[in-house]
Amino acid sequence: MTLNIPQQLIDIFDYFFFGFAIAAILSYIILAIISAFETVNYMKKNSFVNYSNILSSSISPSISIIAPAYNESLNIVENVRSLLSNHYVNYDVIIVNDGSKDDSLEKLIVAYDLVKVDYLINYQIETKPLRQGVFKSTNPAFEKLIVVDKENGGKADALNLGLNISTNKYVACIDVDCLLLEDSLQKMVKPFLEATDEKVIAAGGVIRIANSCTIKDGKLLDINFPKNRIVRGQILEYLRAFLLGRMAWSKLNGLLVISGAFGLFDKKIALEVGGYDTKTVGEDMEIIVRMRRHMEEKKVKYRVAYIPDPLCWTEAPDTYKIFISQRNRWTRGTIETLKKHKKIGFNPKYHALGTISYPYWFLFERAAPIVEILGLFYFSLLIVTNNVLWDYALLFLFVAYLFTVMFSIITIITEELTYHQYRKKGMGLQLIKTAFTEPILNHPFILYAALKGNFDYYFNKKIKWGEMTRKGMTTN
Amino acid sequence: MSDLIQNSIDAFQNSHPIIQFCAYVSFLFMAIIMGLMIYLKSLRSRLRIKGRIEATYKKKYEADLIEYLYADDDPENNEQQQKIIAYLAKSSHNRLKRKLIINTFLKLKNEISGETADAIQNLYYKTGLINSATSTLKSKKWDAVARSVRELTQFEIKEAHDEIIPLINHPKKEVRNEIQKYLVKLFRFDGLEFLDVLESNLSEWDQIQLLEILNKFNNLEIPDMSKWLLSKNDSVVLFTLKLARIYNQYEAQEAIKSLLNHTNTEIRIEAINIVNHLGIFEAVEIIKTDLFSRCLEEQIAFFKMMEEMAMPDDIPFIKEHIQHENFYIRVSVMKIMNLITVDTDNTFKVNTITPDFSIDKDLTIAS
Repeated sequence: MTLNIPQQLIDIFDYFFFGFAIAAILSYIILAIISAFETVNYMKKNSFVNYSNILSSSISPSISIIAPAYNESLNIVENVRSLLSNHYVNYDVIIVNDGSKDDSLEKLIVAYDLVKVDYLINYQIETKPLRQGVFKSTNPAFEKLIVVDKENGGKADALNLGLNISTNKYVACIDVDCLLLEDSLQKMVKPFLEATDEKVIAAGGVIRIANSCTIKDGKLLDINFPKNRIVRGQILEYLRAFLLGRMAWSKLNGLLVISGAFGLFDKKIALEVGGYDTKTVGEDMEIIVRMRRHMEEKKVKYRVAYIPDPLCWTEAPDTYKIFISQRNRWTRGTIETLKKHKKIGFNPKYHALGTISYPYWFLFERAAPIVEILGLFYFSLLIVTNNVLWDYALLFLFVAYLFTVMFSIITIITEELTYHQYRKKGMGLQLIKTAFTEPILNHPFILYAALKGNFDYYFNKKIKWGEMTRKGMTTN
Repeated sequence: MSDLIQNSIDAFQNSHPIIQFCAYVSFLFMAIIMGLMIYLKSLRSRLRIKGRIEATYKKKYEADLIEYLYADDDPENNEQQQKIIAYLAKSSHNRLKRKLIINTFLKLKNEISGETADAIQNLYYKTGLINSATSTLKSKKWDAVARSVRELTQFEIKEAHDEIIPLINHPKKEVRNEIQKYLVKLFRFDGLEFLDVLESNLSEWDQIQLLEILNKFNNLEIPDMSKWLLSKNDSVVLFTLKLARIYNQYEAQEAIKSLLNHTNTEIRIEAINIVNHLGIFEAVEIIKTDLFSRCLEEQIAFFKMMEEMAMPDDIPFIKEHIQHENFYIRVSVMKIMNLITVDTDNTFKVNTITPDFSIDKDLTIAS
């Protein structure tokens, strides 16, 4: 056998890819073990919690739900109704109509008896100007609702205006099309109120996928398992991330991201750091990193909390085109955030943030798709040069596949032992089938989207958010 | 066929150790996956069956309880009632069944009152459930202790007080919280005795829980709170300030005034907030003397307080800050100016019209 490439170089590549794969697998296992212990601990502690008292208390802290809306005319009225039906007592809902071109505002005006009001806004963060102004309802039943109509400036800009408008202590930033469970706010605010020797700056909850679920009048009535394979794959992916990943990061106080779909923030800290960054497409991750960095630099003991309860249900992309566009944006957001805050990376001054979270994200989120594609190129090169030891290669691929399937099944078991949401007969089998098909049907597209995200970040700066076509979750 | 298998085995045995290792790992993963799938299947079935079993036992215990409660004879002499007591006592040795029995008792106890509720309470004693709850207080498992305290609270077992109180500084927060709720629910304000000895912090969440328990009772005899306002535990002081506000503790005015210069900023702010509520006008002058050496949050709280407490004499002082760099102070100043106008005869009146919040845009620029 003739070697066109020096054997030493091949060895280096071999060991690099092998080492990277082993490190990734080990990190998943460690995170899963920590998550499992932490989830059991949480469930045990939570069994003593009485959430009803905070609902009737006159001293419950005030919360503003800020929901930016852009061309959401299809479901805006129902979505707002869902937000207004939360059980929490001391809250308001701020809908920021971000320069929608459709009739969202008109629909809201009619549905909620809105009238334009003079409203004193504390412009602590610069935003695009108001368009038609601020609206409130003449109907006392909707007194918690504030609708703001502004020029289009993107999601981050809309959230910033919401931060300016809010007069409450905490702000829940959510996607308007998300379905918040009725007890979500009291569960989310608990870590802020429980903390005594550290400051909780933000809290995130579990996001679940609502495609095919039965939703009526803003309430989740029935959980179904979708037929669409892309959505099924995402259900498993979300379960893995939330049940066997974020819980561990919460324990390590290393959470770098709170889903943009639903997160609760200490408004004072969010304003101190200047609100959301309007120049990134990953504003949900960026604000958390910036808030954490701010607290580290101020040397204040702090925590980003995480609630493993399913609190928010959202519609996931159900076509490959939208799926790729979403993941492309997530990749660009990660690159932008890590680049912007490179100072904290591998920097012991920033404690766990600099020495654990940042390196992990850099290696296994930012660099992983690049390593993977390099591996594929390298493998192709070995095929061309007839340097592949096929028995090794196939066996390694098979072991990797089996590990992925095994990890997914452990996730499903964790879900069954904790929240048991997919309880209908037959759903268990569907989940197992998905565990076998997801690495083949979804992963290649995630990899492609990540590479495209890298390409777009460096060579196609004009691309920003990308459209997310909503089908709507209001089904029967 | 057998040659093929034999050849494969030979090839495997002669292969590189890494290949052999990967093959063993594959077999191991496959076996684990199979095991996990079987476990998942049985787990889902068990969860479904558990639901059905729970429903069945729940129904059975409800029927037993109703039969026990509504029997005509004296429970001491009724054979059927004795059988029920024995049956429930025996069932309670099983953890799940015990939980279902307790839930059944509590459900009915919360729905009714009077003699029937007392009969359930008696049954709790007769079935020996109380003994298992009090003996669990000595358990090394924190969750078992917390569960017992919660149960004793739900059944309002005041006799357990002396056994529970030594645990008040338990290392586990959940146990401490359950004990605090036990004391306050059963002994109302007397139960707040734990504030004297509490070493850990009382979180805002805990405070809300305790205040809501107290809120459910009327005509409570309120003790002197001054000693807690002077506590070395800052969270106790903050909690007492909330109590003083809710229960209008005018007697605590002197202690509250002293808190205006407390070392803890949060306490100083809470004290300012309560000044308005209790109408402690002397406090206004105390704060005014060094207002601008205090932190911004205190200044904001002061102006907010003045929205309710400002007198015509304060107007010149207030007016000086109409261009204050802080938005909230500017808003408070404008509200005060808009609410109070001084007549020519030097009496003041409160404007009753809706305040006009239209404002020069310059004033809304962020500070």
